[in-house]
Amino acid sequence: MMNCLEFRRRVGAEPFAADAAIEAHRRECAPCARHQDELRTMDGLIQRALEVNPPPRAWRPRFFAIAASLVAGVAVALVVLVAVPRAAIAREVVSHVLHEPGATGGQVPLPPAAVAAVLDPSGMRLRDGAGSVSFAARCVFDGQVVPHLVVQRPGGPVTVLVLAHRSVSRPVRFSKQGYAGVVLPAPRGAIAVVGQDVADLDAVAQQVFDAVDWGK
Amino acid sequence: MNRGDGETDRRRRFGDLCESLRPDLLRFAWWLGRDRGLAEDVVQESMLRAWKSFDALADERKAKAWLLTIVRREFARSFEKKRLELSDVDALVAAESAVLAAPEDERVGQMREEIFRLDAEYREPLVLQVLMGYSTQEIADMMGMQQGAVLTRLFRARARLRQQLGLAPEQEA
Repeated sequence: MMNCLEFRRRVGAEPFAADAAIEAHRRECAPCARHQDELRTMDGLIQRALEVNPPPRAWRPRFFAIAASLVAGVAVALVVLVAVPRAAIAREVVSHVLHEPGATGGQVPLPPAAVAAVLDPSGMRLRDGAGSVSFAARCVFDGQVVPHLVVQRPGGPVTVLVLAHRSVSRPVRFSKQGYAGVVLPAPRGAIAVVGQDVADLDAVAQQVFDAVDWGK
Repeated sequence: MNRGDGETDRRRRFGDLCESLRPDLLRFAWWLGRDRGLAEDVVQESMLRAWKSFDALADERKAKAWLLTIVRREFARSFEKKRLELSDVDALVAAESAVLAAPEDERVGQMREEIFRLDAEYREPLVLQVLMGYSTQEIADMMGMQQGAVLTRLFRARARLRQQLGLAPEQEA
């Protein structure tokens, strides 16, 4: 028969242990049973505490040097450089949207001059056809200043980030933390379109994309 | 399946693994090193090493444990290479405050900081057990230790947390 010390040693290391010896001791010793219950509750808190989400740093050129030095051949670079950055750009886009929750709050269209003031420095403008713009700002994203727009669409607002400094070889679709989005290759860099519960996001993204005059 | 298709499939499988497991690997590396930059470096280099030896992974259901082991080894290499001084845990807490914050629940934030302050020998098995869901025998295999030693570390980790959080002090194993 397991004694209290043995029981507490065991459940202190494995709070969810539930073999015959543990269960037998629990039935006989209420304080030990209570102690194990407390440890199980604490483990729930530990688990929540451990579930951190370290914000990603900017995707750094250093990685390419590492890839080049560690790996011989193009295949490795293809796999890692395609798979990981695709996940990274989606995460960074959603992270940026989450950090500016107020951006999608308003629905009042901004005057065209306010939108132009955000796009002009990037040599771009927005033609009619994208929808009314309710938010426009130049934001820091991945260490670069990028245009950040919120466009009102019939199916709800979508966030648009113009990422001239990032490139994707083909559309990157993603769904994270309640947001669905797509990053499209653009004449200069990439453009991300993100929304919540937006019907036919691909079509919306294409319409936004088509409405952007990328300049020369 | 011709050779080209096989290679494409291999890349796709590895890419899928990278994408699905990277958040867990990053969390694990962060808890090991308590530094976002170090965690990202370690995970990136681990993935490159994993790709080089991907053929050695016989059972992809064990990919997570395999990758965590690679991350452990890579972290040890980086740690040694950079000769990190981790004596000032308060500075680390300040530097990683954005990750440690849990505005939705103060208790989670408090627990997170106390785990962050645990010595690595206690922190690591706790992460592997509670976050990654491994048994004490699996943790012992991953860490190259006896199961009894892992049990002792896990007991002490919880005892310290209980002590730090003002719960009843635990009798030492």
